[in-house]
Amino acid sequence: MQPRDGLTDDIAPGYADRSFAFDEPRPFSLSRRAAAVVVAWLVPGAGHLALGRYGRAVLFFLTISGAFILGLSLEGRLFWPTVAEPPSTFHFDLITVLWFFAQIGSGLCYLVSYAIGFGTRPHPEAATFEYGNAFMFLAGLLNYLVIHDAFDIAAGRKR
Amino acid sequence: MHVLMMSLYAAIAAVVLAAVDPKSDTTRQRLIHGLKIFGSFLGIGLLLSWVLFPIPW
Repeated sequence: MQPRDGLTDDIAPGYADRSFAFDEPRPFSLSRRAAAVVVAWLVPGAGHLALGRYGRAVLFFLTISGAFILGLSLEGRLFWPTVAEPPSTFHFDLITVLWFFAQIGSGLCYLVSYAIGFGTRPHPEAATFEYGNAFMFLAGLLNYLVIHDAFDIAAGRKR
Repeated sequence: MHVLMMSLYAAIAAVVLAAVDPKSDTTRQRLIHGLKIFGSFLGIGLLLSWVLFPIPW
């Protein structure tokens, strides 16, 4: 039987391999990769949404945003780099820089909370204060992994 | 309270870590990987608490 696209019999045996090649992950354009990384940082899961991975997008949004909101509701606080006292060579208090780095990974969750004043007044006397901080660190750090995953998908390294 | 928080923390971490695992191709593999991570978090947490409990400082 003649193949529908007009391939002759001696070429047709290789035809089966082409369907496998179509199934391979393919890289997205550079602008789409950059956009996926930026939106993935701003909104957890949005990078996967932009790349058509809807199931994972919903999963990441619910878990990471949920962890951040849970942290806020447990009296966790938002960290900002503070100047070291007494003055040191690094200028900033290193531990607050690390805490800030962990929390800012959650993107708009952090920025919006900071803008409207949630978590900006610490309550270290609250029994759940440290639990809250731990969940907010977790949210930001996991989102860094999710951003990396979105980049890998956009670069065609994984499905 | 502490065990509940630890379990929630482990569950959230396990879900995300299993979903981004590059070696798991199927949902079943991701599920097994996630359960291993969840169990490891809880197991190591309980083991550490048991080891650290007698230390007075």
